[in-house]
Amino acid sequence: MKLNRRQFTKAAGTGSIALAATWQQACSEVAESGQVKTETVEVLLDSQGSRGIYQEVEEFERLRRAVGSMIRTQTNLRNFSVDEDEQPSTVFWRG
Amino acid sequence: MSEPIYFRSVRELAEGLEKREFSSLELTELYLERSEELDVPPFDLPNEPREDHDGKLATMITIARDHALEAARVADKELATGNRRSILHGIPYGVKDILDTTGIRTTWGSRIFKDRIPDRNATPIDKLEQAGAVLMAKMAMGEFAGGNTSTALNPWKLDRTSFGSSSGTVSAAVAGLIGFGIGTETGGSIVYPASAVGASGLRPTFGRVSRFGCMALSWSLDKIGPVGRSAEDCGHILEQIAGYDPKDNSTGKRKFAFRVDPGSMRGKKLGVCRAEFELSASAATRKVFQDVLDSFEQMGVELQDISFPQRPTGALFSTLVTVESGTNFKSLFDDGRIKEMFSFNADRAAGWMAGRMMPASDYLTAQRIRNQIKREADQLVSQFDAVIAPTWPNGAAMREVRAGWPVPARPEWEPPNEINSATPKLNSIGNLVGHPGLAIPCGFDEDGLPLSVQIVSSAWDDQSTLDFGMAYQRETDWHLQRPPFPWRQ
Repeated sequence: MKLNRRQFTKAAGTGSIALAATWQQACSEVAESGQVKTETVEVLLDSQGSRGIYQEVEEFERLRRAVGSMIRTQTNLRNFSVDEDEQPSTVFWRG
Repeated sequence: MSEPIYFRSVRELAEGLEKREFSSLELTELYLERSEELDVPPFDLPNEPREDHDGKLATMITIARDHALEAARVADKELATGNRRSILHGIPYGVKDILDTTGIRTTWGSRIFKDRIPDRNATPIDKLEQAGAVLMAKMAMGEFAGGNTSTALNPWKLDRTSFGSSSGTVSAAVAGLIGFGIGTETGGSIVYPASAVGASGLRPTFGRVSRFGCMALSWSLDKIGPVGRSAEDCGHILEQIAGYDPKDNSTGKRKFAFRVDPGSMRGKKLGVCRAEFELSASAATRKVFQDVLDSFEQMGVELQDISFPQRPTGALFSTLVTVESGTNFKSLFDDGRIKEMFSFNADRAAGWMAGRMMPASDYLTAQRIRNQIKREADQLVSQFDAVIAPTWPNGAAMREVRAGWPVPARPEWEPPNEINSATPKLNSIGNLVGHPGLAIPCGFDEDGLPLSVQIVSSAWDDQSTLDFGMAYQRETDWHLQRPPFPWRQ
């Protein structure tokens, strides 16, 4: 999914749906340019609460690289064909 | 000449205590004095890896001298009345500084928690206390159970890595500073350091040992396991720490009763991850690994080459750990303490934050792929009594770390790209699917550094893993080789 700027701005302001849309925007940016744009990382970061150490330019750049790296890793998993009957290994279990 | 007391196995130490050859107090004083002489570096721990060790191993973050002496006196009183709680009764041990210990600081290997003193014991510590074992030291580890980043040196050669993250525990066991040890593993943190220093270390089945009171790196991957100077040591220790715990909902209710005698190996089936036996570029190293297979064949074991299907295990592992760590360590980001992590861990912290941002659907997708790999691996491994691969393709690399991996000791053996792309698959799969894995020493490389194989069995069949290890150690003496002292530089 590729959002235009207007769609992205609108989505970014609307709660949890926004986070998924922003992450998808980040995926598109990595696919296109190999890295995530600053404003996209900022939206993702702000969704986690205070920016903390990532207010600092050097640390923010480190985070931007980490988000890009995570998306590249995740792409491997998204591209993996998993059987539709497969359940996640997180099923609630009562022993 | 007989073996020094401090190098004896768990069974030999127990026999010495039983025969009154020495008391628990004398044994504890021996280990304490040896540790204080050989281990304490001229800098405070926890610390980043450093060069100014002054020849000391730095395997221990905290030596609990007073606690150990008092526990030893109590053990002696009980043993004198014939009240022997377990084979571990009266034996001093060290535990990775990731498990909570009442009144003894528990730092998780980080200066952020250098003054953290818990008011509770982790469940395995409680169990060892009930077994009468003597808690002597909290062992060095990579910060927050990170990889190859501990201060602990490798007693076989001080410029080599002891890998991570249970490095302090394994190095101390091999150096004869503790009677036995407890480590933890998320993706290789018991078996890799055990391989680097020639210890015997067991990653038990996921859910075999309670993690209550242990720092969580990844709730869905963390395991706690024994470290010793033999496979038999590991069995004795596991028997004492295993068991269901309502405070850890991953624990299973299957009992573990250790059987010391592996019996005849004739007719047992061993799957051989052949591709991993060929990873080292050193012919001499490959021969050492082949000799292990020859030994098993001479015992009558039936060998069969196997290979696991190609799966995105690296991406899977990375996703699970970063998302779960990022979630668990949220408070460090919220209050800014994350900035105090050691400098080399800044990228790791950023990865945790990135993991927190990942949508839940992607995390669940990872856990679905993991479930598929579990079914495939269970099916393949269940055709054998155990499967085997080198624990690490080569002997311990240099202490220097680049791009998250130790620098090869001999680049011509181990091209850097090869390490990343060809990290042993049996270990990755075993950790992802929760199979038990035992690392045992099997010889030396051309630089005199230990080599090791990992033996993996089906889930809950930890005994088979140990049987192969004990049978091998019955026929060989690699586990009885000791690092020369003074330590090689």
